[in-house]
Amino acid sequence: MSERLRADARALPVLALAVVAYGFAFHENATLVQAGTYGAIYAIAAIGLSILLGNVAQISIGQAGFFGVGAYTLAYVTTNAHWNFVPAALLGTALAAALGLAVGVVALRFRGHYLAMATLAFGLIVVGVFHQSAALGGANGISDVPFPQFGALTISGLAAYWFSWAMVALVAVVSLNVLRGRTGRAFEALRNDELAAEVAGVPTRRTKILAFAFAGALAGFAGSIDAGYLGLVTPDTVGVQLSIDLLLMVVLGGVGGVSGAIFGAALISIVNLYGHDLENWRFVIYGVLVIVVVTLFPGGIVGSLGRIAARRRGSREAPPIEQQSRAPAAPAPGRAADAGAAPIEWLRVRDLVMRFGGLAAVDGVSFALEPGRLTSLIGPNGAGKTTVFNAICGIGRVASGSIAIAGRDVTGWQPHRIAGLGVARSFQNARLFAEMTVLENVMAGAYRLEDTSFVADLLALPAARRGERVARERAREMLRLLDLERIAAVPAKELAFGDRRRVELARALASEPGLLLIDEPAAGLGASERARLRDDLLGLRARGMTLLLIEHDMRLVMEISDRVMVLRFGTLIADGLPAAVRADPHVQAAYLGAAG
Amino acid sequence: MLQVGGLAQLVVAGLTVGSGYALVALGIHIILRATRVINFAQGEFVVLGGLIAYTCVTRLSANAFVALALATLAGFLLGLCYERFVLRPAARVGDLAVTIATIGTVSILLYGHALIWGSLPAPLPPFSGTAASTVELAGASIQVQSLWVLGLLALALCALYAFFERTTFGKAIRAAANSPTGAQLVGIDVGTTRMMSVGISIALAAFGGTIIGPITLVGGAGGVAIAIKGFVGAVVGGLDSPVGCALGGLVVGVVEKLLEGAFSYGIADPIVYSLLLVALLVRPQGLLGRRAALRD
Repeated sequence: MSERLRADARALPVLALAVVAYGFAFHENATLVQAGTYGAIYAIAAIGLSILLGNVAQISIGQAGFFGVGAYTLAYVTTNAHWNFVPAALLGTALAAALGLAVGVVALRFRGHYLAMATLAFGLIVVGVFHQSAALGGANGISDVPFPQFGALTISGLAAYWFSWAMVALVAVVSLNVLRGRTGRAFEALRNDELAAEVAGVPTRRTKILAFAFAGALAGFAGSIDAGYLGLVTPDTVGVQLSIDLLLMVVLGGVGGVSGAIFGAALISIVNLYGHDLENWRFVIYGVLVIVVVTLFPGGIVGSLGRIAARRRGSREAPPIEQQSRAPAAPAPGRAADAGAAPIEWLRVRDLVMRFGGLAAVDGVSFALEPGRLTSLIGPNGAGKTTVFNAICGIGRVASGSIAIAGRDVTGWQPHRIAGLGVARSFQNARLFAEMTVLENVMAGAYRLEDTSFVADLLALPAARRGERVARERAREMLRLLDLERIAAVPAKELAFGDRRRVELARALASEPGLLLIDEPAAGLGASERARLRDDLLGLRARGMTLLLIEHDMRLVMEISDRVMVLRFGTLIADGLPAAVRADPHVQAAYLGAAG
Repeated sequence: MLQVGGLAQLVVAGLTVGSGYALVALGIHIILRATRVINFAQGEFVVLGGLIAYTCVTRLSANAFVALALATLAGFLLGLCYERFVLRPAARVGDLAVTIATIGTVSILLYGHALIWGSLPAPLPPFSGTAASTVELAGASIQVQSLWVLGLLALALCALYAFFERTTFGKAIRAAANSPTGAQLVGIDVGTTRMMSVGISIALAAFGGTIIGPITLVGGAGGVAIAIKGFVGAVVGGLDSPVGCALGGLVVGVVEKLLEGAFSYGIADPIVYSLLLVALLVRPQGLLGRRAALRD
């Protein structure tokens, strides 16, 4: 995505130039200035929707509702309470953000089409409330809203054009800050693979809610400016049609990031101006365009242009390996690795029961892991090994029993909180974030090591840059450790199978886990890759990490394990040193014998 | 007595508009089963069906029943094209693309209607008698057309049941919806069954638009509201249950009319939409649906 972000940022100066040129060229034409101003106002709302839709993959057909809240708030407090524009707009933005937060909480329950319907209903409800509220002027809305006033300067006409576009610039910069930072990586990770993101420590629920609040805030801000500019707001101007228009602008320009949304908003606003005589034709054509763009050019106009430009420049230029980190990344103090002083019991599972329907996939399993040891969990297919892993990571409902990580009872915790204690895992089928590069995948793994707040991200405070550096250096160190530096800039979806496995391991390690769960790492590997895996695992153990391994490759298991546990039909039937387990007649009968 | 009569009148009025919602809900259900997509444009096809019937009646001086047949047939053909040229290409891109494409279709139809027929709703003549014809029932005077609507709804439901349960082709459509891969393995052309499903769904929409046309007027910008209320009905009844969808649509109609009767015209809609959110949150599988069907 950073390539996508970089292209996005590159397009901004071009757009800025166009805005300035337009402003100077048409400053005497009031109609064109007005169209340009609308373009700016809609661009602000469209940026929020673009991020929601393109970066977080959450659809909303209710953005007009937030726009309306911003507009009505400003109109109400400036006319009834005689507030100034700035505090009124801030209040409108804040209320829209709060509403976005609430919608985000509800939206967690929906996916895809259901979310689309639910947000559409939300938008209609908001308009219905505006219609019914006598205090807000009913169907007539609120009129005579004063123009924004800064000292002697009244924001109207040409001044409004420049003011609105300045606000777009502000919003674009802030949005790019968010997308570049830890929050943006969280967006991207959850868009690619929600479960893997959660397990890598990204609080996916909170991140989604945040995205809704952010998009809501931008729509509300746009609404505030709109009410101040137009001097009035009515229920009809913030109805479903506006939500659909915003969607159209974003889809036409290109979903994700900021430049596509700005372009789409400006384009539609200007076309609207000329299309007034062809009122109905205009929307029919928009509808056709949306279908054509979404099916044939999913990247939108800006996205498609960007791709052509990139191809011409000689495709994916390897991003510069920025400042080969001089100092080796500091070992995170007080975290996982320093088990030296007092050994922590990393994991204790007590009487764990996991059920699917009536079937107990895991039925009363208890064990504890000694620190710094490599323990293997083996058993025939369907024995419940991966279910045990899932339970430890917080995936699925524990029917009874308990799980303690580093002495804390984590039964029923969400996966990202468990990850936050220093638990990392790999999946049987290597769940990478397909559209992120290898480096970005591994950086996402370092999510818990960064402590950048959303506000720091928003304003690109030094703390955000520091956090970014920590994550980047940590990721680079892991890539070096696993000898993956050469493919750092390759998108994960283009990797060969063996590399996918190693990248996933690097991502898991990037979080500096104290406990690492690895699910069938040797499956599908060739002899040399397998030898390397063996060295990697032994290397990790030598660094003091506690490892729990699911593996079918018995030679590997017997060779490197300190201890082997055998699971069959959801219960442990043997537990001990490899040699003892191998000699156990029960195990031979149940598993090794059966395997030949 | 007047009270009871007024109430009965509201309920019958609710069942009448609810019949339209029920057909929309069923149409949404059929498309969802076949293509995993919720068709936002379903309500616009209802409007379009009514308008086509209107043209048949006014321009071709067709009898109401001929107009109904023609509108339904036109809906079926439009549905085939809709699947082939809009839903299918978008499905290759992804789920979000399909959702957005159906919203694009809303824009095309909504404004396309206005281009062709103008933006003012027009009355469709009733199927018998005049618009003012009523019958007295339990102290309530009920429009004759309401009886036509309920009767024709029942007829359509029976026809659908017979088609999906009794004919081989209907069973093939259901099989393809349950497991596209499995259906392909036994030789069912999934592309065709999908097209047919969408065709049937849009035919139902056009049918619904025509039968309620004499009461609600045809044309205008009400399509989005019809689609959402139909969706509310489907969610309330259970998106995966055809019977639930039909009942849910009727319930929404009755609730809407009762709210309008108790409060005012404008307040009913927001409350009905809120019902959607509540239903989705409290009982996402609907009254008659199964929970497992929601997992996707």
